[in-house]
Amino acid sequence: MAGWSDAAPAGGSAYGFLLSELRSLVPAGGRVLVAGPHDPALLTGLRAYAEITCFVRSQPDADALSSAGFSVLCGSLAKLTDSDQYDLVVALDGVGRLCSVEGPQFDWAESVQVLRRSLRPGGALLLAVENELGVHRLVDRVTPTAAHTDGDWRPLGEYDETKPGTPSRLRERLAADGLTPGWLATAWPLPSAPTLVIDEPRLRYGPAGALAAVASGVTATAYATRRVLSDPRRLASTAIRGGLGAELAPAWLVLAFRGPAPSLSLPPAVLNDGPLGPLPDGRLLEELLIGACLRHDLPALRQLLTSWVAAAPGVSADNVIVGDSFAVLDPARAAVAPAVAIGHFAATLLAGGYDQPWPHAHDVPSLTAVLLAAAGVSGADLPEISDSAPDSLREHEERVRRLEEQLADAAIRVKYVETELIHRDAELRKARLQIDMFSGKVGYRITRFGMRAARAARRSLRKMT
Amino acid sequence: MHHANHFYGHAHVLAEYCGLNPDDPPRIDGYLQHGWNVVDGLGAGTPYVSGRPIFVWSEQTRRRARSMGRRYATVVGAPFLYLREMASPAPSPEEREGTIYYPFHGWEGQHIAGDHQRLIDEIIETEDGPVTFCLYWHEYQDERTRRRYEKAGRVICHGYRGLRWRDTDTKFLHNQLGELRRHRRVASNRLSSAVLYGASVGCEPAVYGDPMHLAGEETTIAQRIRRQWPELHGKFPDPSAAVESALAELGADVLASPDELRVTLGWAA
Repeated sequence: MAGWSDAAPAGGSAYGFLLSELRSLVPAGGRVLVAGPHDPALLTGLRAYAEITCFVRSQPDADALSSAGFSVLCGSLAKLTDSDQYDLVVALDGVGRLCSVEGPQFDWAESVQVLRRSLRPGGALLLAVENELGVHRLVDRVTPTAAHTDGDWRPLGEYDETKPGTPSRLRERLAADGLTPGWLATAWPLPSAPTLVIDEPRLRYGPAGALAAVASGVTATAYATRRVLSDPRRLASTAIRGGLGAELAPAWLVLAFRGPAPSLSLPPAVLNDGPLGPLPDGRLLEELLIGACLRHDLPALRQLLTSWVAAAPGVSADNVIVGDSFAVLDPARAAVAPAVAIGHFAATLLAGGYDQPWPHAHDVPSLTAVLLAAAGVSGADLPEISDSAPDSLREHEERVRRLEEQLADAAIRVKYVETELIHRDAELRKARLQIDMFSGKVGYRITRFGMRAARAARRSLRKMT
Repeated sequence: MHHANHFYGHAHVLAEYCGLNPDDPPRIDGYLQHGWNVVDGLGAGTPYVSGRPIFVWSEQTRRRARSMGRRYATVVGAPFLYLREMASPAPSPEEREGTIYYPFHGWEGQHIAGDHQRLIDEIIETEDGPVTFCLYWHEYQDERTRRRYEKAGRVICHGYRGLRWRDTDTKFLHNQLGELRRHRRVASNRLSSAVLYGASVGCEPAVYGDPMHLAGEETTIAQRIRRQWPELHGKFPDPSAAVESALAELGADVLASPDELRVTLGWAA
């Protein structure tokens, strides 16, 4: 396609690391086809051990790759012949951007069949499949079936019925196409550039609380400035803890072989540019604190808060795993003053509209003050807390509801106070009169008597005239 | 906020616990539950202003308040327990003697229908030690009623709870704590704050005798209370179960630290 370029190619350090781990699949002098837009950094990594051919639909992209020294095939997927076969086909961008506007528009299954045909016997296909029911879709304010960008000339979304909707169906689908599915993993938090990859067995049988915490952390980073329908951290974390992580992951990564699957050892989870280290068994402190708030379990809440301040002071509640002890999830994240960490938790409670034991503390400083006291932190100045929660429509609705409630309460209170004021004014008037009456001042009594007499005289004069 | 916050010197006790001047407690930013009840923690007829916190004694009361549309109930525990926290150590069991009995009273303007004498006879028949009768102030002032009880035992009154911030006996709870600790048993003809207080400071609680209903009183609530707290009813209920239940009603497990209580009540340091 002339005059066309595909933005946001698949990339990121997690993909880079995974590709380097696949070296054993490519024999010396082997060939790799990279289908679809991929970040040049990934291609450079691959070139370290294989001869690469890039397949892209955009002519400017092809030109750029060509000048960077890559072999390039440019055009539409329909033109990819099976005369060239590869040891490894990499399609980490999925198969959605392989057809140009001209020629046939392949659905998911047809595209995968073309890629399969370009595998030599024994070759491997590394494919990313975006989950139409992934967390990223569920929180997206934009529907994938509306044509928002120039690239959306055929925005099928979930209406491509050939696209599998679960990991097991993905496996069945690939097997039906004559491939042997092997390693299958989930990618978080966004399909195009995930920072966390967890394989299916690890997700199903690993430490769910800690994995949920890691997924929630990478989701928070990715969504810091994105506008969403609802908080994706809650959804990602709840899905993983509830055993639905594989089904609700934003994307699946699968290795499928044309022939029997060779033995291959990949780390069970990848975070950024390396294997995810061992995780403590336990739950994210933030979730435990929220749970205690929702249960109105004051003893448990105080216990958690005081232990937090003692064991991991200043470490953010979404960076602490509570198991047998308090473990810091990501030591690289900077610690802050304990009051700031608690203030952030107060902001999280309020932004999420979570019920909590002190409902009258409905702003961050008030709630921070009471949480600090419950945590036994005294003498700390109340910190300024900036709102770090994702910009979410559901939380907006919740906030509007709360404000309406508070406004109605305020109106009732004003009315009550005004009524009280009228009563008190009346009491005051009466009391003043009594004070005057009984103050015993002769002058006052004479004046008062005189005024009454004058009034009476005026009245009788009027009657006479 | 509401004058009932000062009843029995509750606000004064909490101020002392928070390290503030107990003679001049700051204004509480809400409504403090001033007696055990089976509704939302507010006294009958309290003009509740929506949006203001109700500081209730127990989590159960908070849940009930929420179910009644009170969105701002916050659990703090009973002020009596805060007094207990501050008080000197309890006397040894050997120093305790007899029973302190709280005949059910109405409040100002309420009149009870029942036979005081029949109640007195039942109490004397049941209790094996000396009995102290603690009367509510307006019954204590009623010469006829007081005389009748005086024939059966020692008669005391903890003080006047106060009205519209005036004449409050700020040592009401202190007097009550002192008296309760002198006795081995606490009893009443109705489950009430006093029985729970007694149970919380080492008395064996009991609820028995003619419940003496108020004139025109709906009795379903009284019946519900008997059904829901059977462990506290009877002449000699199992003390351990009764005490456990009483402590839960008073919120013994949820008491806040002085700092937390101060912030919760809206009192600046």
